Amino acid sequence: MNLSDKVTIPAQVMARTVGDETVILDLASGTYYGLDPVGARIWQLMSEGQSLAQLCGQMLDEYEVTRENLERDVLALVQTLLDKQLVRVGA
Amino acid sequence: MSVTLQTQPARPQNPLTVAPFHQWIFPDGTEWTLFYRLASGYLLRFADLADFSVTLDGGVITAWPAPGVSAATVEHLHLNQVLPLALSRQGRLVLHASAVEIKGRGVAFIGESGRGKSTLAASFATSGARFLTDDGLQLEWLDGQCCITPSHPSVRLWEDSQAALISQAVALAPAVDFTPKARLLAGDGLAFCDRQQPLRRVYFLGDGTSPSLTIEPVRPAQALLELVKNSFLLDIKEKDLLAWHFDEMVRLAELPIYYRLDYPRRFEDLPRVRAAIVRHATEDPDELP
Repeated sequence: MNLSDKVTIPAQVMARTVGDETVILDLASGTYYGLDPVGARIWQLMSEGQSLAQLCGQMLDEYEVTRENLERDVLALVQTLLDKQLVRVGA
Repeated sequence: MSVTLQTQPARPQNPLTVAPFHQWIFPDGTEWTLFYRLASGYLLRFADLADFSVTLDGGVITAWPAPGVSAATVEHLHLNQVLPLALSRQGRLVLHASAVEIKGRGVAFIGESGRGKSTLAASFATSGARFLTDDGLQLEWLDGQCCITPSHPSVRLWEDSQAALISQAVALAPAVDFTPKARLLAGDGLAFCDRQQPLRRVYFLGDGTSPSLTIEPVRPAQALLELVKNSFLLDIKEKDLLAWHFDEMVRLAELPIYYRLDYPRRFEDLPRVRAAIVRHATEDPDELP
């Protein structure tokens, strides 16, 4: 996985925004996950079809964070989501 | 919508040819309920107590007590475990929660077994307020408002709660085979509210480690996860039902009514706990945005 990748959300995964957070339900396993406001923003931009690089560019405008830290955090979150099969990399 | 219970003669719990698709396990690892799929619906097995079948539409429950198990035990399992699951097949939202009516407002208490849901409900119902349910809280949207539907007019209490709370004569349901908890029937000493009430507050009960009474707001996402965790749902492997239920819980979680409540569990403190809850639950104007 790298920053030029796009991430897609499988049909079996539902996500809903509640307050400024997001709760994800994996229908296949019946398991629920929570994303904090920053994770929720990453999820939203991913679900709009942005590549990870585009998403990082957008978030650099929105948050006070260095590019290096942001990219590291985004890649770490996406890896966690991949491990739990909540997203797929590639079209 | 209604659910019919048919009780059959006792029969032994012979092994089934299919494996359970789900189970409820006690914290000590003992199996409490095994869930099986049948062609016509579901079979719920409570080991050495009873089997219950539930039709796919949740409309008919059939009970087979194990040999030697009392009718009271079957009724108890039906009311507290099987009926809430059957109702979930009919599009009802059912939560592990007790609820009371305070000045025309429905107030619910959600928490794991042992957190004091029933004790709080009984405490209110013996001191001027009325209880709506002691578990299996049923919710329904009416004209855009979430309402609590009253359920069975009885409260299950451990002996210590019963001794501390119930001063006058209250009718008891017959004892059951699997728990020393008594089931107290509503009456003069234990006031029951038999009409739907608007849901105005939900308190998630803490574990009692707080040194003093605390009431803190709960974030909507946290409330959602708690609501989901405390839902009755048959069956969680059915994706359409699970997706529908998730959206219903999201709608519920968006209401501005969720708080975490904790207090030291001392019977002598209950009047003070009740007073704090009444104050907190009635502080807003009786209109939600």
